[in-house]
Amino acid sequence: MEDLKKMEGKIIDLVEQLDEDGVIRLANQALDAGIQPLRLLELVDEGMNRVGKLYESKEYFIADLIMAGLIFKDILKLEKMTAQFERSYSERIGTILIGTVKGDIHDIGKEIFRSMAEANGFQVIDIGVDVPKELFVSKVLENKPDILGLSGVLTNTIEAMRGVVEAITVAGLRDTVRIIAGGNHLTEDVCRFIGADSYANDASSGVKRCRGWICSAGGKGVRADD
Amino acid sequence: MTDMLALSQERTQLFHDLIDGKIPKKVPISGSFAHEFAIQYAGKDLTEAQWDTDGLEPIFEKTCQDFYSDLLPVSAFRLPSFYKILGSRNFVMGSSGFIQHPEVEGLALEDYDAFIASPFDCIVERVLPKLYSKLDTDSTQKSMVMAKAFKAYTDEMGNLGRIYGNLIQKFGYGFVNFYSGFCEAPFDIISDQLRGFKNISIDVRRVPDKVEAAAEAATPLMIKMGTPPNPSPYNATFIPLHMAPYLRGKDFERLYWPSFKKTVEGLKANGMRSFLFVENDWMRYIDYLAELPEGTIMLFEYGDPKLVKEKLGKKHIISGFYPVSLLKTGTKQQCIDKAKELIDVLAPGGGYYFGFDKVIITLDSANVENTKAVLDYVAENANY
Repeated sequence: MEDLKKMEGKIIDLVEQLDEDGVIRLANQALDAGIQPLRLLELVDEGMNRVGKLYESKEYFIADLIMAGLIFKDILKLEKMTAQFERSYSERIGTILIGTVKGDIHDIGKEIFRSMAEANGFQVIDIGVDVPKELFVSKVLENKPDILGLSGVLTNTIEAMRGVVEAITVAGLRDTVRIIAGGNHLTEDVCRFIGADSYANDASSGVKRCRGWICSAGGKGVRADD
Repeated sequence: MTDMLALSQERTQLFHDLIDGKIPKKVPISGSFAHEFAIQYAGKDLTEAQWDTDGLEPIFEKTCQDFYSDLLPVSAFRLPSFYKILGSRNFVMGSSGFIQHPEVEGLALEDYDAFIASPFDCIVERVLPKLYSKLDTDSTQKSMVMAKAFKAYTDEMGNLGRIYGNLIQKFGYGFVNFYSGFCEAPFDIISDQLRGFKNISIDVRRVPDKVEAAAEAATPLMIKMGTPPNPSPYNATFIPLHMAPYLRGKDFERLYWPSFKKTVEGLKANGMRSFLFVENDWMRYIDYLAELPEGTIMLFEYGDPKLVKEKLGKKHIISGFYPVSLLKTGTKQQCIDKAKELIDVLAPGGGYYFGFDKVIITLDSANVENTKAVLDYVAENANY
């Protein structure tokens, strides 16, 4: 028992240190020793929280977040984890529909956001890059997401993002969905100009905002530790 | 001497003084607009006009007429003709016609060793066929495609060179060129063109030794690429910086900085100063930047202008910081106030020219009236 406790602490530490091989090795040992998959997920989650804190305190940077996302995926892919994960998929905390707006074909920011949002319990529907506003509207109608995420790298995406928000409003959907814009060039003023509910300059703060929304909206299966 | 020639010489003097460490008569201004902006501003369709570089002169002229600048304010980097011939995957057109750089993998993980052993051979043999689909074929076909693409490239650059020359004469711009060479930081070329953002972020953790060796191996190639045939102390080699702000300090220190510093020093030894686009926020690396050779030109996107002036102002040439996003969303007065605020911090003692925090890429990236107002304000008021 003492051993398992020690192992648990060590798993959290290794996730925090982004020691990929170490995490996988110890996770396998822990699973063999009888740890519950959900418990393991909690430990990895705790490690991810610490990574998030190190990111906020500027000791870790985006490259480290990408690595953290990869470790999370590695853990979910472990044989003893897959069954558990598939079952819990329907218990996701909320749905985010994301796409890169028209005129822009960059997908890296959206990719990083996606993997972090998934690691944070969201179901993410990714509708691709260079997405016209009409497609955003029809996909929102079809999927009824809690949150709509608009991604863009180029400075001129400001106009395209504003166009999407307008189209969503005209379609009568504005009250059904929160909208967050993501991109390094965005500011408070630009966010107001676009008409989004919030904006994020990086994936980490974007996911945090989305979690905040879902939690304050009263849950939808938010995990007990929140 | 014609009026325009006199104007050219006056403006050239502003930049020569700047580079020679003297205080110029007024704050020099370099407006920066992409050819995509110029095409849209002239009321032309980007999807058509960028194919015909012969026709770009009257198009660029409109931007030159309406926006104040002491140096030629329009430049074109990415044109579709040669990328189309190559079947490019690393420069691809979006639906609006704007050519962009998506996430690509040009170098497979298992090819690191081949790259480290001989970067040039590896690029030709393994990377190019992955980045350019039309080069992914037998060697005869490949040679034909390469020859055609190069012909297109030199034709386009020839046209642009002629147009630039005509416009410099016509509008009396300074004879200083900060884009007379081009290369990347070794770590950046490995990230942007070879491994991709996501892969390199993982490589830094999984195979740091290989990343370090690859950056080292790419360094002589970058110095060679960035050295133009006729180096001049008043021209510069443009190096847009990318990945450093996304790395941890200790990864930057080991994997990014040494080869980059060597590149800038190597260019200096070849008679070229570097013009760095310091993308994103480099404030935690400011003491590193201070180590670069005297007179290196640095255009900053984000960060603290006061800190930059204090740490780099006496040794280097500074520009940037003016937020293009404000030109889009601010009132005219807010925009002018911002210019005044930056000039008050950055101009005293010289070593500064006015520039936006990034190139204005398309017509809808900024409010045209605000942009004109800011450039005019600086031209009329920023005297020493």
